[in-house]
Amino acid sequence: MTLNQLIWKSLKKNLSNYYLYVFALIFSVALFFAFVTMNSSPDTGAAKETTTGSVGLTLASIVLTVIVTVFLLYANRIFIKRRSKEIGLFQLIGMTKRQVFRVLSMEHFLLYFGAMVVGIGFGFLTSRLLELVLLNVTGQEGLATLSFSMKALLQTILFFSVVYGLIMLSNALYIRKRNILDLFQVRSKSEGKRVSVIETIMGIFGLVLIGTGYYVSSIMFRGDMVRVELLFGIMLFILATVILGTYLFYKGSVSFLGNLIRKQKAGYLHVREVLSLSSILFRMKSNALMLTVITTVSALAISLLSLSYITYYSAEETAMQRVAGDFAFLEKAPADTFTAMLEENGIAYERNNIDIVKANINVKDIVQAEGDFNFNPDEMLATVISDEDVEIDVAPDETVFSGTNDLMSQIMSLKNTGEIAFEEVGTKQLTGTQDEYYVSNIFTSGGLPTAVVDQETFERLNENKDPELQWTSSLQVTVNMEDSSKVTEANKLFEELPEGELPQFSRIKQETDQKQSLGLTLFIIGFLGLTFLITSGCILYFKQMDESEDERSNYTILRKIGYTRNDLLQGIRLKQLFNFGIPLAVGLLHSYFAVKSGWFIFGTELWTPMLIVMGLYALFYSIFGVLSIQYYKKVIRESL
Amino acid sequence: MSLLEATKIHKSYGNKFTKQEVLKGIDLTIEKGEFVSIMGASGSGKTTLLNVLSSIDQVSQGSIRIGDTEITAKKEKALAEFRKHHLGFIFQEYNLLDTLTVKENILLPLSIAKMSKKAAQKQFEGIAKDLGIEDIAGKYPSEISGGQKQRTSAARAFIHEPSIIFADEPTGALDSKSASDLLNKLSDLNSKREATIAMVTHDPVAASYSSRVIFIKDGQMYTQLHKGDQTREMFLKDIMTTQGVLGGVHHDA
Repeated sequence: MTLNQLIWKSLKKNLSNYYLYVFALIFSVALFFAFVTMNSSPDTGAAKETTTGSVGLTLASIVLTVIVTVFLLYANRIFIKRRSKEIGLFQLIGMTKRQVFRVLSMEHFLLYFGAMVVGIGFGFLTSRLLELVLLNVTGQEGLATLSFSMKALLQTILFFSVVYGLIMLSNALYIRKRNILDLFQVRSKSEGKRVSVIETIMGIFGLVLIGTGYYVSSIMFRGDMVRVELLFGIMLFILATVILGTYLFYKGSVSFLGNLIRKQKAGYLHVREVLSLSSILFRMKSNALMLTVITTVSALAISLLSLSYITYYSAEETAMQRVAGDFAFLEKAPADTFTAMLEENGIAYERNNIDIVKANINVKDIVQAEGDFNFNPDEMLATVISDEDVEIDVAPDETVFSGTNDLMSQIMSLKNTGEIAFEEVGTKQLTGTQDEYYVSNIFTSGGLPTAVVDQETFERLNENKDPELQWTSSLQVTVNMEDSSKVTEANKLFEELPEGELPQFSRIKQETDQKQSLGLTLFIIGFLGLTFLITSGCILYFKQMDESEDERSNYTILRKIGYTRNDLLQGIRLKQLFNFGIPLAVGLLHSYFAVKSGWFIFGTELWTPMLIVMGLYALFYSIFGVLSIQYYKKVIRESL
Repeated sequence: MSLLEATKIHKSYGNKFTKQEVLKGIDLTIEKGEFVSIMGASGSGKTTLLNVLSSIDQVSQGSIRIGDTEITAKKEKALAEFRKHHLGFIFQEYNLLDTLTVKENILLPLSIAKMSKKAAQKQFEGIAKDLGIEDIAGKYPSEISGGQKQRTSAARAFIHEPSIIFADEPTGALDSKSASDLLNKLSDLNSKREATIAMVTHDPVAASYSSRVIFIKDGQMYTQLHKGDQTREMFLKDIMTTQGVLGGVHHDA
């Protein structure tokens, strides 16, 4: 048999054995190609012209490149490890390492580039789908007109050729580093270590690091730390402490706790523990690294997805802040025109005029946190309206703040009650805070509270107002539809209005604009998040497949001794709960802190969107856990 | 009543067309407290015989009874339960779990028996002392020698005091010193604990430690030898003569 025949034969035989590796290849190529195709498509070109758009896309492709490379190298490592005996055998019968390497490289070449062709085909189909989704999300009309891009093809081929080179390099190193004996024994090597003081210290240190990271992240956006040039450094610091802490936590604490339990059992282990605890501890070294990778990737994915969903979810809320009614005007004339048009079309509406005065108030008494930036509590410029214009009743010596939002309260936190002082009318008692918006935020300098006072106070303020402080308009006319289903129809009429001197607002238009401008970013982040999810799930699944093969002989022994398949499966479930559950739990915790530290920059709602994302992530992620248990089931069934 | 009784067991592999009969109607009984060796050339079916006797493999025809239990009629789950309580195993490749320490490996069969930790510890101390492996209790299988591994494996087979212990070429991977060490221990345990042992081997020296040797040829019982009052050396000579007649297979084969 010549070398070439050998290559061909082993390829044919291995193809069915290593469908996993082939799958990883096809998946990566398809993903990458889809992304690159979209990137170079003229349809997304428009979105790319904005700076944030192009920066985002570049950043995304870098992250994608790294993830795909790591993923493929990992899959290859499992692939080569499984074949180590074969490699050893080739050497045993007299092939040189160079020849073995040649056989492997050739075989890989065929496999790799074969998978690439399939992957590009899949990728093309996926990219059409993705573009449809993208256009849908950004609210653009039109059909996806994606054509096969030569540029994308070349980029994909180039990138994967480089990865091929890297894989070959890692294989060459693998073969060179090991002698024949190592190759035959690669599986039974123990990573087990006994309990040591260093481990305990390491574990505690890991927890301290994570805690530090969390703490810094929670104070990152406090007034005294917000310095843009520092922000990037702080973020890197948090990332480093948390990732390192997680690694040490896994390496130290987990094996420390595990060994403690084990020691307590004094050798008397139930089969459940045999398959979970001891198996996990046996591989703790490689497990710690992998769990850290999975945790980090999961945390990244959840944070990215949460933040982007928060933005999307908050679009409505943001539009609500921007526009105090369905439609809002700052002068009487265009409002009159608009209502006339509504009447003509028989749409019932409700019109509301609010007079507005700007005044300085002293809020020193109710400021909660000191040292907030750019803010003088003695002279806060507030928007003041009368209680008669809105439907609440305020006593003469009292006031109510309305239109507070979470972002503002994060940066500048005010108490809900206390004493405030107007320069013109003296002290008033603040009796409460509402989050309703009576006034569009064009008046409120981006979210400062609006003070509601009684009519008499308002008139006095209006007489003594400081002209310096007043804005161009001191009137807001809001028009609300009585029947909310007519809003779209009304919006069409609104679009026909001539542009006035002062801006006029439509809430529904604001909302779509917002979604459209966010669409691309959202889409990229969503795409990356999904990639991370699938990649981390796959890596875990591969690792479990690998472990199950390693432990196949253990299952044989246990079944011979008399344990049933169910007994074994119980242990496996426990082990998978750990392998999948721990990184998920820690990843969720990490992302919770990450999201909490800066969510208010992205939107106004935290809990609902974050919990939805976390729930969905956990759900999809568990699919991989279930799949791996199914795989174990098969291995166990076949083991006797 | 004998401890194990097998009647007319047949075992064949493959489908209708490629059928290959490995066991062709073997009758066999083993008494309580016996140490029986099963010998035969490669391919004679001795390992298959051990596998069906020990319920790991199923017979095509015939019946096997161990104690009061007819094992050929049982379902997989019931068989597992039966093995757990009544059988012990020693294999050529040791079959230890790499992920467990020596002690954990040995205590494995006890963990289902719901024995208290204290009692288990006592059992362990007894058997570890008998087999001389107290010092390596905390080590992993990758850290000990072949002989130690096999003694660990033997300890695991004995610890839950099963009705019968099946050993498949237990000395196959050992050097002669470790092998005779192990066989001495096995035969000690056989007499001291009245443990019943059925051992498959192709090594006449190993077989000479037992009280009876059964020869298998082409899936059928060929003959059997009883040790009786002979010394081990004389018994060995007998075995080797029979083996020579059987097919010119020498003990170093």
